[in-house]
Amino acid sequence: MGKLMYSCEQAAQLSSRAMEQPLGPWERMLLSAHLMMCRRCTSFTRQIAFLRRVSRKIPEALDEDGN
Amino acid sequence: MGDEDDLAQSLEAHRKYLQRYALFHLHDTALAEDAVQDTLIAALAQSRRFEGRSQLRTWLTAILKHKIVDMVRKRGRGLPANTLSLNDDDSGDASFTSKGAWIDPPADWGLPDAALESQQFWRVYQECCRLMPQRYGLVYSMREVMDLSSEEICKKLDISTSNLHVILFRARLRLRACMTKNWFGTDHG
Repeated sequence: MGKLMYSCEQAAQLSSRAMEQPLGPWERMLLSAHLMMCRRCTSFTRQIAFLRRVSRKIPEALDEDGN
Repeated sequence: MGDEDDLAQSLEAHRKYLQRYALFHLHDTALAEDAVQDTLIAALAQSRRFEGRSQLRTWLTAILKHKIVDMVRKRGRGLPANTLSLNDDDSGDASFTSKGAWIDPPADWGLPDAALESQQFWRVYQECCRLMPQRYGLVYSMREVMDLSSEEICKKLDISTSNLHVILFRARLRLRACMTKNWFGTDHG
């Protein structure tokens, strides 16, 4: 029964893994259930997605630093 | 001969950009210069392969990425160990309690995109990347800045996929915490 609820650590870890590969259906369901109830992990999930967008722009940013 | 002179000149025009790119990943001016030098030499030697198929800068950057990874590998320092598991966080600053609850819970960053306009934001961001332990930082920037695929990174560094996920997770936790502390949790954010 304990496995039916993810801890924040498990949820955060899965959010990160989901950026690398599709999660299984069960994992996906438990993760969304956790995120629906947990603002902290929702923030975390948004923030790591934002950081990915920032990182991908680094090469452009290096270019604009001046010539 | 004229063509080669032209190419040499065009290459030179990208040197500063390549230098900044290499420095971002290597954190060492002399090493970055070496990587760029090697890249330009390789580009000249392979110039027939270029044939304007892609943007010159894109092509040069692709060569440089491999030089950077090779260089870090050769140095041997900062490489991720292959035995990391989620349970042995060696970093000493845990993000979660033993029950898996946040120690320092993430708060909302609001609308973070506004920060992208700020030069200062990029400096803070680069500094946070630099402060990451090297064994996480290299993998993180291979994946997120160089945009190499998971498969390619695992192959190049000889690590397992699950190990890659652990490293990326830890890197993201750290980077997020660093950006909160130094940007989003301050007056800027």
